Amino acid sequence: MRQAFSDTLVRIADADPRVLLLTGDHGYALFDAFRAAHPDRFINAGIAEQNMVGMAAGLARMGFHPFVYGLSAFVPVRVLEQIKIDIAHDDLPVVLCGDGAGFVYSHLGTSHQSLEDIACIRPVPGMMVLSPADRHELTAAMEHAHGARRSVYLRMGKADRGDVHDGDAAIDTTKLQCLKAGHKGGTAILATGPIATTAMQVAERINGVAVWSVPSIKPFDTETFATICTSSARLVTMEEHVIAGGFGSLVAEEASSTHPLPILRIGVRDRFSEHCGTYDYLLREHGLDLETVAAQVAAFDAA
Amino acid sequence: MMQIASDRPGTNFPFAPARLRRTVLDMAYAGQTVHIGCAFSIIELMAVLYRSHLRFSPTDPRAPDRDLMVLSKGHGVMAQYACMREIGWIDDKAVNGYFADGSLLKGLSDSRVPGLEVTSGSLGHGLSIAVGMALGAQRNDSGQRVFAIVGDGEMNEGPIWEAMLFAAQAKLDNLVVIIDENGFQAMGRTEEIVGLGDIAAKFTTFGFDAVTIDGHDEAAIDVAVTSLLANGTRRPKAIVARTVKGYGVPFMENDNIWHYTRLTDETYQAAIAALKNVQ
Repeated sequence: MRQAFSDTLVRIADADPRVLLLTGDHGYALFDAFRAAHPDRFINAGIAEQNMVGMAAGLARMGFHPFVYGLSAFVPVRVLEQIKIDIAHDDLPVVLCGDGAGFVYSHLGTSHQSLEDIACIRPVPGMMVLSPADRHELTAAMEHAHGARRSVYLRMGKADRGDVHDGDAAIDTTKLQCLKAGHKGGTAILATGPIATTAMQVAERINGVAVWSVPSIKPFDTETFATICTSSARLVTMEEHVIAGGFGSLVAEEASSTHPLPILRIGVRDRFSEHCGTYDYLLREHGLDLETVAAQVAAFDAA
Repeated sequence: MMQIASDRPGTNFPFAPARLRRTVLDMAYAGQTVHIGCAFSIIELMAVLYRSHLRFSPTDPRAPDRDLMVLSKGHGVMAQYACMREIGWIDDKAVNGYFADGSLLKGLSDSRVPGLEVTSGSLGHGLSIAVGMALGAQRNDSGQRVFAIVGDGEMNEGPIWEAMLFAAQAKLDNLVVIIDENGFQAMGRTEEIVGLGDIAAKFTTFGFDAVTIDGHDEAAIDVAVTSLLANGTRRPKAIVARTVKGYGVPFMENDNIWHYTRLTDETYQAAIAALKNVQ
């Protein structure tokens, strides 16, 4: 996924001389290819995220198309007000790339773990919020974000969970992505981000469960969502993010007005990480590991 | 290349401070709004910039090659409105209908108003945007200059110092930061809240060419801007403008109540009379 990020960024910059990359002193080796190809368009803004985002707004006003890179704990959470006032207020073309979302920095603790970013950025008017599941969705999301010339938050989670797409077909980021068809009148899982790989593993264990990936949280593909609600008895949402205000909340809000049906929201409960450990350890601590999730979905599916 | 107002033949934009202050009073009275003192301290600064330094199009406040006037201390926005009225970007209806339901002009700088560049008032935002604009102008090789007015109280905000560091690092010699050192912030005297000491020395230490002037002396402002922009260094520029909050109406001067107080019929008339006496 990181290779796809680098490759796609270089390709976009090759084609569009207005693209700049700003980083808050993060992404040490990630930008080697970009720096080699476009050294004059790489701006290390230093460890000063608020100023970086404000500068991106100024550069966008002068005709540039900045990609702003940071850890998602900082971009968008730390700089939420800069995003709201300086960028989103005029829908300036700035792509805010928040890397390491979720429990990626599992050993570093609360400061670098980012489980609140979707809930923070979703209410900002007009923001596009993209959350790709694998490298193919990431590439499509970056191209869409660049082409849209709007204010975008691109959420990048755990990079090594594997693919959910085979890469053969072009992906329309704006649409819900059917990864696995299920039984009519059964359970449909909607997952956003790399946790979609877990959703696929769950569906292999439970007969008839459909799996959809949601690369665009905002705008949300309400049209396809309506068809899923019509053909399903139950929905499960999965996100590596708190369940309050995040993707599960979005699905519950959307369903409640037009297609009320039981929804199991799987995500992080109202708690910080207690302990340190591997990424897989933290998923277990928060009940987001395959065994726990599969058991929850199976019980919900059987109810 | 655009011209400055005073070089433009056949036009007359005097930006007379007493007239600008009268517009501020009219707006504040019509809108029953506050922040009069915040606007009065930057009247001469705005007047000199619009009269003699900012290159703009009278007919298009968003002309792409304009110089940029970033009001980081958004609370002083009535001073900028007053200049915009001189140019014709806002009309008497906007002045007399200030704060009417459904009107465009807000109580703080708002980027959706043609003629204003940033949405500010949440402090510590504008300078970073100005730095991005100055960097963008340099990358575009457009020759545009960026002027940013920052309040002394606003310098409590961390991003101001982040922006200062980066501006020097990037050699933004097309950026002029003007600090409105009126000595007050919302709750009292700056030196009693979070004192700043010698502001020019701080800017110098951060890599700027900095001077301190009387912020109500139009000639001194003019000289400072001209000489800094022509000094040939690759450093960003800073002008520490020593000002008086509420300047121009003696009963408002150095009285922080005019950060908050609305004009009555009596104080409105008294302020107008005081302005005439100053003239």
